[in-house]
Amino acid sequence: MSRQFRGLIFISVLVALSAAILFIPRLDIGGFARGNEDSVFGLSLGLDLQGGTHLVYRVETEDGEPPTAEDMEGVRRIIESRVNQFGVSEPTVQLLGTPPDRILVQMPGLRGASITAMFSGNTVSQDGFEQFFVEELGREDAAVTQDVRENQLVLIAQLDSLEPPDLDENGNVVTPGDAERYRQAAKEHFPVTMGILFAPEPVEDPDATPTPEPDGTATPEPGPTATPDPEEPEPTATPEPETTVPSIEDVRQVFANIGRDEVEIEELDEGFYQVTLFNLEEAGFDEEGNPIPSEVDRIREGLEEVGDLAGLEPFGRIVQWTPGGGVEEAKALIGSTAQLEFRERVCAPVSPPSPDVEWPPDGLTQDQWAAERCNNPEYYTEQATDIDPDNLEDAFASVNESGQPIVTIVFDNEGADAFFRVTDRISRTGDLLAIYLDGQELVAPRVDPDIGGIAGGRAIISGQDFTPERARTISIQLRSGSLPVSLELLQERSVDALLGETSLRRSLVAGGVGLALLLLFVVSYYKVPGVVAATSLIVYTLMLLAVFKLIPVTLTLAGAAAVILSLGLAVDANILIAERTKEELRSGRGLLAAINHGFSRAWPSIRDGNISTIIVAFVLFWFGDRFGTSIMQGFALTLVVGVLLSMFTAFFVSRVLLRLVAASPIGRRSGLFVPVEDVAAPESAVGSQA
Amino acid sequence: MDIVGKRRIFLGISAILVALSIVVLFAPGLRLGIDFVAGTSITYEFTDADPGTAEVRAALIEAGQDTVVVQNLGGGEYFVRTNELGEGDKERLDDALEQLTGAPPITLDLTTVGRSVADDTVQNAITAVVVASIFVMLYIMYAFRAVPNSFRYAVAAVVALLHDVLIALGVFVVLGVAINAEVNAIFIVGILTVIGYSVNDTIVVFDRIRENVTLAPGRPFRSTVNLSINETIVRSLATSITTMIVILAMLLFGGASLRDFLLVLLTGVAVGTYSSIFIAAQILVAWESGELSRFMPRRPRRATAESA
Repeated sequence: MSRQFRGLIFISVLVALSAAILFIPRLDIGGFARGNEDSVFGLSLGLDLQGGTHLVYRVETEDGEPPTAEDMEGVRRIIESRVNQFGVSEPTVQLLGTPPDRILVQMPGLRGASITAMFSGNTVSQDGFEQFFVEELGREDAAVTQDVRENQLVLIAQLDSLEPPDLDENGNVVTPGDAERYRQAAKEHFPVTMGILFAPEPVEDPDATPTPEPDGTATPEPGPTATPDPEEPEPTATPEPETTVPSIEDVRQVFANIGRDEVEIEELDEGFYQVTLFNLEEAGFDEEGNPIPSEVDRIREGLEEVGDLAGLEPFGRIVQWTPGGGVEEAKALIGSTAQLEFRERVCAPVSPPSPDVEWPPDGLTQDQWAAERCNNPEYYTEQATDIDPDNLEDAFASVNESGQPIVTIVFDNEGADAFFRVTDRISRTGDLLAIYLDGQELVAPRVDPDIGGIAGGRAIISGQDFTPERARTISIQLRSGSLPVSLELLQERSVDALLGETSLRRSLVAGGVGLALLLLFVVSYYKVPGVVAATSLIVYTLMLLAVFKLIPVTLTLAGAAAVILSLGLAVDANILIAERTKEELRSGRGLLAAINHGFSRAWPSIRDGNISTIIVAFVLFWFGDRFGTSIMQGFALTLVVGVLLSMFTAFFVSRVLLRLVAASPIGRRSGLFVPVEDVAAPESAVGSQA
Repeated sequence: MDIVGKRRIFLGISAILVALSIVVLFAPGLRLGIDFVAGTSITYEFTDADPGTAEVRAALIEAGQDTVVVQNLGGGEYFVRTNELGEGDKERLDDALEQLTGAPPITLDLTTVGRSVADDTVQNAITAVVVASIFVMLYIMYAFRAVPNSFRYAVAAVVALLHDVLIALGVFVVLGVAINAEVNAIFIVGILTVIGYSVNDTIVVFDRIRENVTLAPGRPFRSTVNLSINETIVRSLATSITTMIVILAMLLFGGASLRDFLLVLLTGVAVGTYSSIFIAAQILVAWESGELSRFMPRRPRRATAESA
């Protein structure tokens, strides 16, 4: 008996675990993260249930040869980096075919249009941005995702559509489009917080301070400031110099001067103010075409007049607001052949360009400057070279004599000449050869001045931060960037998010009703074994969904169909067992013995039937990717999981429960274990004919 | 119930149904969706006013799609099938439809399948069915190796399977004519589901035959088969009723997108249950009694079989 109870405890633990997995939308245990907040039970949903776009491309090489595995991997990486720009939650890029010759791109949640926005200082959150669209703009279709690029939060609002601006014949905007209207609304809605920091200035003559003393009451306390550096004695003999910073009123006046009469100013510390503004004006032109400096610049100018401005940091300013074309734009970008570019990067000079310039600029130290001058786009300039990426013959990763990962690049004759001219030039100037793929920097090596121009078209790129993986990535990207492949769009599927939502809701209702009816039938027909079967089917459904979430299996409509089939098989197993038990009871066995025999005699047919189903599922999985759609494989995977789990529930859960019930007082009334409709004993039917 | 004795009636009905299915498969044939013939299908929704099928078709023909198929799904939703759309074509269609009602229609679903994919689909589907059948046959031969002539069980199961698939296809031709049901990629999933179900069902009956043959080797084979069918018929019906309950619930409450698929399943489950009882097992008996050695069994032979 204790064996049954141990089984019951085990089942209870499984049920509790499954329920916990399902009802906690997002699981994250030591890096094992599953589920997301937005969907039912946190299950991952296919495009047909949540909306989005699915594209299948065939990769074709120019010479008609089938693409190699390495070609495909290169193309996959390029497409992946392109797809990641669209800010959809979980894009997948996957190779299809054996050997692979097609690429499947899935962008769930990608819609007709999008707005990509960045706020300086990351002041606006994903939720805040979505709320702004839904509540302020009334765009209930908006779904916002976020992405982090170099510490900058990128917010992407997916929308069904954006009204484009109305233009007249000359291309001038007559009425602004949605994107522009929303930008203006965002400027009104999200405040810009400016941190203003003044450096303390020595007080030379109190009468000469340009700031009027406001009533003399709010005199700023001269704090403990500016102790002279003991190693560098002050040239002036003044002991303990008095310092001052502009007062809050000075700052207020600056804002009043540019027409901001009522601004919220807070003094955070001495000489450190925080100002909150809405509707910050950008740089523009007046009616005569004269430039108007941006409001930030005008504020800066005003602040510099009242004190030694050490820092002005506007947080919450819209630094990017780009409307996107959604699906159409994605197709255009993905389908374009990758662009590899070799550019010459002219770094900013080490020494001042002219004697009277403060150098390095922007108050950088020499060390900082050494790092920035070739790496910060504000300082260097770039120009095109005549290295044609088509002349890049090969690129591969290997290691040098000392075991360091390197990338070797090989040019053909024509490319070698151009490569020599460029490397010769930059080896003398100390400039860099920047290599771009799709406008993104891949690597920017310099040329050793001792070597000079590299002749022969073969070069090695090495770097201190090169890992074998990075070297490999660079070589693949270099190679595929120059690979003359083209992508042919074979298949496209775009599902509206609303349709997906409707399908999901209806499927859930339908599944729920179906399951309820099924349980009703089983219970009313098979009585006690029916109740056991129904319980075990509920356990089955819970565990199935939990397993789907853990693997994770993406649920699609086809997957829902597989769930129906496996549910059918799970019911079948229970019915077979119940029927067998009934027969054993009729042949005069005791209840427990009948149950045991029922299970063991039902096993071969359940086993063989389920194995055949699994065989069909495997064939389907194997053929699935030839159809240019992933629904077959999704169906097959769901089916296999469903069938395996159904065998477990039938032979473990049902058995433990049935034995427990049989051992309880209910077990004494064996009539409860025989179905309602008792068919005539088959033996006698046959006997009468024989 | 003497089911085995009436096997000619059942085999005859099935032969007629299969023959009819094959005939309708040639003409009028299945209504092939874009997964098979290439092209673009779009589901549009008009939110403000419902322009009507004729208007929608006229507007799309006007926009350059002269072979367009338009189907009213109700509730302002239209299923539209065109040739494969090129760049800019979709915008032209949207504009043309916008002029009908003044408001832009919503694109609920858009699928485009290129020619090269579509060309392979039929072949791939047939190959998948054949490969699945072969593997299932091999497994049944292995699973039934303990009984004499296990090869016959494998063949009978596969014949029942093909019978189910053909009749499901035939029913779908009728549905294509009656309610414009189209064959698409998910339809193939439906057919393969039918295969899985059919084999599973057949194996339950065969398993009982296998057991009864082993328990009483001396009993005439046809009696054993009849006994086994009678022992499993309740279970077969119970299982197919429960499965059909779930499918019917999905048909009634689920969305339109799965309707065609569920109809295939419903047909498949019904035919699959029928064939496992009335076809697969009867083939075994017919084979055992030598009836299959003749293409058309003659009357005298039947009389002897009956009296045996």
